[in-house]
Amino acid sequence: MSSPGTQGTQTTQDSRLFDLGYRRYDGPRTEPISGIATLAVFTAKRVLGLGRGGRHKVLPAITLVIAYAPALISVAVAALADGTLEEDFISYGDYMFFIASALALFSALVAPEALCPDRRTGMLGLYLAGPLDRNRYLVAKWGGVLAVMLAITLGPLLFMFAAYVVAGYGPTAGETPGLLLRILAAGVLTALLYTSLSLAVSSFTTRRAAAAVAIILLLFIPPIVSESAVESADAPPELGLIAFPFVAGELSFRIFGEMPEGDGPPVTEVSTGLISAAVAGFIVGGLFVCWIRYRRIEGFR
Amino acid sequence: MSASSLPQSSPQPPIVSARGVVKRYGQTVALAGLDVDIGPGITGLLGSNGAGKTTFLSLMLGLRTRDAGELTVLGEDPSTAGLRIRARIGYAPEHHDLPAELSAADLVRHLGEMHLLPPRAAMQRANDALWLVGLGEERFRHVGTMSTGQRQRVKLAAAISHDPDLVLLDEPTDGLDPVQRTEMLALIRRIGSEFGMHIVVSSHHLEEVERICDAVVIVEGGELRHAGTMADLQQGPEGLVVEVDERTEELAKILRERGFEVAMSDGVLLLRAADGVNDAVRDAVADLGIGLRRLGPRGRTLEDLYLGAGS
Repeated sequence: MSSPGTQGTQTTQDSRLFDLGYRRYDGPRTEPISGIATLAVFTAKRVLGLGRGGRHKVLPAITLVIAYAPALISVAVAALADGTLEEDFISYGDYMFFIASALALFSALVAPEALCPDRRTGMLGLYLAGPLDRNRYLVAKWGGVLAVMLAITLGPLLFMFAAYVVAGYGPTAGETPGLLLRILAAGVLTALLYTSLSLAVSSFTTRRAAAAVAIILLLFIPPIVSESAVESADAPPELGLIAFPFVAGELSFRIFGEMPEGDGPPVTEVSTGLISAAVAGFIVGGLFVCWIRYRRIEGFR
Repeated sequence: MSASSLPQSSPQPPIVSARGVVKRYGQTVALAGLDVDIGPGITGLLGSNGAGKTTFLSLMLGLRTRDAGELTVLGEDPSTAGLRIRARIGYAPEHHDLPAELSAADLVRHLGEMHLLPPRAAMQRANDALWLVGLGEERFRHVGTMSTGQRQRVKLAAAISHDPDLVLLDEPTDGLDPVQRTEMLALIRRIGSEFGMHIVVSSHHLEEVERICDAVVIVEGGELRHAGTMADLQQGPEGLVVEVDERTEELAKILRERGFEVAMSDGVLLLRAADGVNDAVRDAVADLGIGLRRLGPRGRTLEDLYLGAGS
């Protein structure tokens, strides 16, 4: 068989071997908007470590295990109890609070993979030299990370909801739409919050490790500072709104109409309006920071 | 100054047309009113570091906005139709940083999809392009394990896999050894001539441009110094160059006395074209009884032109 790159046709008595080699492409092309979907899927696969070496799969796998394990255990217990449990194994609000640990891990250690290497390796320049502008690039990156975040926030809750319904612990028919809406709202808003935080911080550095450290500091320092100030210096509880994890956790409790166990963070005393404003501020602020950063980054070199 | 790298008789519209293009970075003027037409085929974009080559490429791609002037690429303005134009352009950057963990096939396929190829076609085209650039057997190797020469080939494959109308190559032989460089130049020549893609090669290697390009554009200090086809360039000013064994000055004196304009440079006589100049040289050499080493039309090399542009 002749090798690709050569032209010609070989004919024998009973067969004909075509070797067309390299040639121009005259087939169909996709719409420019499809580039966003392509890059979003590529990004989601990369942050999950799909198509990459084993070490890149470890952290995403741990994250997913943390996120889904309570749902699986809860469902298993419900199934084994065979309808004799008096209440849910774990409430949806508590579950979202638990998932926050998986989200923190993912935001700090995995999600920066979406943005940082593109600038370090020059892929950003290659993307922007194609039919993709900076805004579309960011939409694709946001979409890819958000999809994975949704798999962490929404996936376990919907799985638990479906399993409870099947096991006979589900809500009544009248309660179902409302509960589904709450699950949807909590899952989507929490995913948006963590996506916004992670990508905004990642937009400042080409180094994943630097982004990870910065995100971890942002997740731990403001809660410690605000809680200390409120408890020791009689600062107003609204100071807790600077703490990203407090706002994200309180959001879920408010959506599901639950209260955290124990005293809870300072923001439990803050009005729902202010909590909502803080959530919107974190999401929109993160988007804005990312957008501004990428307007200034020189992708072409 | 307006200049064109198209042959003067060319009926084809320019691939790239710049009129008074200005680009500044703060106080620094990167392009100072560039006027040039780039025609079909392979065009070398020559200039020293900081001459404005990369800025010009980025303007062609619509990745930067010009401060003044008009620019069309493939018939459209990149500042307003950047996405549409970039879908028809293949670009290989100067840097060699590529995602180390991706295989060459995955990288080229992904960039093909980003350039609007359907997934199956992108995969097929990635394989074809990698075979074409000589990486068929290596296409599943991770880019991080490849040599500089192989990465240059991967970049070239990525630039052509979506079958663009125009390919922009920024220093495509940077970091290559002489053998790799020769192979890469042959490859670029083949892509330009056999597959009908127009190519602009940014380089500061004169001999490379001379070897593979149909036309050359020389930019220095953000201004155009020369644009023309290689054929026009090599014709140079009309006249003769004469080199003899000995008595060069006497020959020059005789020719001047016979009414011809003669200059001397490094022991070689340069004569302006005139009626009967060939016969006059022949007769004078015969009269002096000296040996004639060289008698031919005056031509210029790219180096002559470039050094002239630089000065």
